[in-house]
Amino acid sequence: MKVKHVKLFLVSVSLFFGALFLASCTPSQAQASKPGALLWGENCVRCHNAPSPSAFSDSQWEVVGKHMRIRASLTADEVDKIVEFLKMAN
Amino acid sequence: MRKVLLILVLCTAMLSAQEKPGESRFLLRGYAHSGVEVRGDETTFVGGSFNPIFLWRQSDKLLFEAELEVEYENGETLIGLEYANMSYIINDYATLRLGKFLLPFGTFAAKLHPAWINRLSSKPLGFGHDGVGPARDLGVELRGGIPLGEAKMTYSVYMINGPALNDGTNPNVEPEEAGMLLYDLGEDNNNNKAIGGRVSFLPLSNSSMEIGFSGLYGKVGNVESKYEDVAALLYAVDFSYVSKVSFLSGVVDIKAQLNGVQVDDASYFNVEDSSNYSFSNKSSAYYVQMSYRPVNMSTDFLNSLEFVGRYSELSFPEGALWTSDQTQYAFGLNYWVDWRTVVKLSYQFADTGAHESEGEEGEASNDAIFLHWAFGF
Repeated sequence: MKVKHVKLFLVSVSLFFGALFLASCTPSQAQASKPGALLWGENCVRCHNAPSPSAFSDSQWEVVGKHMRIRASLTADEVDKIVEFLKMAN
Repeated sequence: MRKVLLILVLCTAMLSAQEKPGESRFLLRGYAHSGVEVRGDETTFVGGSFNPIFLWRQSDKLLFEAELEVEYENGETLIGLEYANMSYIINDYATLRLGKFLLPFGTFAAKLHPAWINRLSSKPLGFGHDGVGPARDLGVELRGGIPLGEAKMTYSVYMINGPALNDGTNPNVEPEEAGMLLYDLGEDNNNNKAIGGRVSFLPLSNSSMEIGFSGLYGKVGNVESKYEDVAALLYAVDFSYVSKVSFLSGVVDIKAQLNGVQVDDASYFNVEDSSNYSFSNKSSAYYVQMSYRPVNMSTDFLNSLEFVGRYSELSFPEGALWTSDQTQYAFGLNYWVDWRTVVKLSYQFADTGAHESEGEEGEASNDAIFLHWAFGF
């Protein structure tokens, strides 16, 4: 029973500090102000060539953006800016 | 007059309804590849594969994705399910994923294996079928990316059915490979679920460098067998650096990954001489790859070229009936027709041999030339 309590305590503490960590995580001013075109050039090439904006339509880019947000663990802000840029440039 | 007005109102409503995009979106994407291969005296066209990816964006929070792999091999058409899962976006930094998904165990299987992304026609040693480490499984995962000031990190924690131990007792599953882990079996072979995760850091402000650490632990033995308590620890370290290098007038892309598997010691039955044997069950595989693509050169042709080199090594445990040490060198020249269409010419040679400690030289050298084309769509 004691071991169970210790485990519960450790999990609670981990969750508490995890939540604190997440709450304190913010991008720097320079990162937050990056435009979509720059994020597109920086993030896509980590795995493959940067896609041509004309490859997909606006609504298709929204699906691709969602897919890549999950696949590449991009933040919501990064994906929103990249998709906005691609929709504007296609 | 009233009828005309009503019709006009209805038509306007229908037209405006058509203009509204709605929340749901469906998209068919994927990739395909094929080519010709020269191995020794044999030259053959290979069917390659066709991998349609179905993406269904149900709403801003929900996405369903599935990938099929359709291959033509030895006169047969084979269809496999690469993944099929549902993702629910909890908040800006967390997504919950359920179903069959590509495991974030390193980056090769999860991100880099598609033919239009992989810079070479072949996979590194130990990163294909019967490799070291899993590629996909069924389970649940929490993942996301988190900004850390100028830097960034990504994380993933998951619970899956996990690998199963080939204990050599099933004659249908190659008894001579006793001790090897089997991946992606569909159903679990015990009640234990494997726990794993990956954390990666992107320390540079332009996200050009990523260092990742992955781990997976769980019992792998069949339930109610003498191997029930046999567990395995799997780990991976991966590295990526992609950047434009001014003095080379081009983009340099470096990728590397090390996979390791440690299975608890156990005694297996040798079907060849009816004896029992055991061994230190540790396997590993790694690769280092570097590619260079010129940019801002005088002609489009030069800007479309890419040079690639890769070294990979695979080591299966000494004392197992499947013991082996292999090394492979691969070199390639790619021509990019556009950002997602590539023609790849590559040459590779590999040595398959016994352990160095046994004092034997490589048993065979497998040279091959590949001319493949691949495209993403």
